[in-house]
Amino acid sequence: MFFENVKTALEALFGNRLRSLLTLAGVVIGVFAVTTTISLGQIATAGITSELQAFGAQSIFVARIPNDPNSPAFSDDDIEALGRLPIEILQQRSTRVWAVVGETRARLVLNGTTANAPQIDRTIALAQGRFFDSGDEQRGAPVIVLSADAAEELFEGVPDPVGREVLIETSGGNRSFYTVIGVKQRIAGALGAFANDVSGDVPMESLFRDVPGLSRGRYDFLPITIALDRDASVIEQQVRAILDRRRPPDSYQVQTVEGALSLFNTVTVILQALLGGIGAISLLVGGIGILNIMLVSVTERTREIGLRKALGAKPATILQQFLIEAVMLTVIGGVLGVALSVASLWTVVAVVPFLDVFVLNPWVIALALGVSVATGVVFGVWPARRAAALSPIEALRYE
Amino acid sequence: MATDKVASVHSRVDDPAPMPARELVIRARNLRKVYRLGGDVAVHALRGLDLDVVTGEYAAIMGPSGSGKSTLLQILGCLDVPSDGSYLLSGDEVATLDEEGLSTIRNRRIGFVFQAYNLLPRANALDNVALPLLYRGIGLRARRERAREALERVGLADRMDHRPNELSGGQKQRVAIARALAADPDILLADEPTGNLDSQTGQEILTLFDVLHGEGRTILIVTHEAEVAEHCERIIRIRDGVVESSEHVTTRRRPPSNGDTGA
Repeated sequence: MFFENVKTALEALFGNRLRSLLTLAGVVIGVFAVTTTISLGQIATAGITSELQAFGAQSIFVARIPNDPNSPAFSDDDIEALGRLPIEILQQRSTRVWAVVGETRARLVLNGTTANAPQIDRTIALAQGRFFDSGDEQRGAPVIVLSADAAEELFEGVPDPVGREVLIETSGGNRSFYTVIGVKQRIAGALGAFANDVSGDVPMESLFRDVPGLSRGRYDFLPITIALDRDASVIEQQVRAILDRRRPPDSYQVQTVEGALSLFNTVTVILQALLGGIGAISLLVGGIGILNIMLVSVTERTREIGLRKALGAKPATILQQFLIEAVMLTVIGGVLGVALSVASLWTVVAVVPFLDVFVLNPWVIALALGVSVATGVVFGVWPARRAAALSPIEALRYE
Repeated sequence: MATDKVASVHSRVDDPAPMPARELVIRARNLRKVYRLGGDVAVHALRGLDLDVVTGEYAAIMGPSGSGKSTLLQILGCLDVPSDGSYLLSGDEVATLDEEGLSTIRNRRIGFVFQAYNLLPRANALDNVALPLLYRGIGLRARRERAREALERVGLADRMDHRPNELSGGQKQRVAIARALAADPDILLADEPTGNLDSQTGQEILTLFDVLHGEGRTILIVTHEAEVAEHCERIIRIRDGVVESSEHVTTRRRPPSNGDTGA
């Protein structure tokens, strides 16, 4: 009987194909919104998680407050004081210079750093060439490791810039040639997605030699790497405790990757709430559409219902028949909604660079279809009960 | 099945041949039906009607409109219940059944043939005939088998996969009769079965009823046409909610002798 009712429902729905499809629209949009919302959150989380794992470490960033005279730069003594903690600190000085290659001039952030930078900053990975070594560092060799963006800007169309020369021009007019020894990979994931990082890494000694006016032992910014098995929030408290003793109050900022991600999460949650709201409203409107069309269907088929009852269909059988029809309608809508959602999420993952993991939980599909069935039942039960309660005599007499 | 055996009741005392004792299919006593039309307005459609019908009987129910014959047919067909009175169908009281019980009776013991055929437009002849068997819970294969036999009985073996809109009026009514037969009911109830047909086709349908009666079916036909009624053995006339007369038909109309109609 159940399968007969399913067959009857399918026949009725396919008999009114256009009407069925139009009725489905609300449910399709609702299920689409709900599924996309949940999956998008999961995809974002998965993307961030894979990124953190790719780092192989946790990071916090300590920075002086820019352009604030009461916020002095960090000193070598600060670094030494922090060195008691189980952390590694990247020593890095940065300044803005012009980089010239032939006719091309570009603004470049020139970072003076140490040869062990790739071990501390896990985002450093080389696409071509090598990073400078401790020999280069001690000699103050005129070698430079370009970021992906910098290499692209300065050596457009050159497949391998390693070995080529870059002229570095400071604002004070100093000019010196550097040899490209490596090109870094673009930073994967959310952290590198939107940053336009036109920079070059050179040995600290080379920076101080070729950029006059930079005082040694002063740092605007301290990237700190914490081993994965440490609790970053505890380390952060310890870092703050040390710096608070050494510096004027409120003269620095601590940024964590988690902090950056929490902003990202806030955006995701807002987006989810928005889509979830649209989903709920669409399902409500879609449900009312189902209700309406089922009432029409029951009225249209009053004679059919009367006949079925006259031939021995029990009220429960008629109820089941129309309930199945309503649920079938919403389930088809749900399947279409999920399909639409999967297609959209695939597109999002393919297009948005930092969302690189496609996640589709089976329980999301189960939830979507569950919501569809529930919508069908909730909004189909009243019309179905009306059908079941029809008197066979009245129904047969209906014109 | 009923066990009480009584003679058929006839109003004509001059009926010469005594009826052999046969089982009572319908035993209605003091049937009353009151329709309340809101407020104090009440319509008395049946006013204490008594009726007996025995197995194998072929009877016509006639009466002017408003006489209560439609109400009677609905109650006999278990589409409705009387306000008062008793209706034994093959010995079982059905006047007090609820909708659930009534649907079981309709499904198993009543075969309906309607004036307007009432076939499902989207289903073919075979599925239409199989519909009551579906509601009886019979499996697809057995259902189709019985439906096929029933369609062969009414001469539509070659029309099984046709939909109603591909069939003529007479063919549609044959499908409807096959549907009533497939359920193997205690009684066949026909409500103006030839009302929508031309006289030639109507004759063919009546011939089919004659044949079914010849095989021992109990048939009740509601009609207002004397020619239709005269096919039957007995004419029950209803007026003002009671049986006005019940007469044995002495000269029954026979089917046309050319013999190319019917099953």
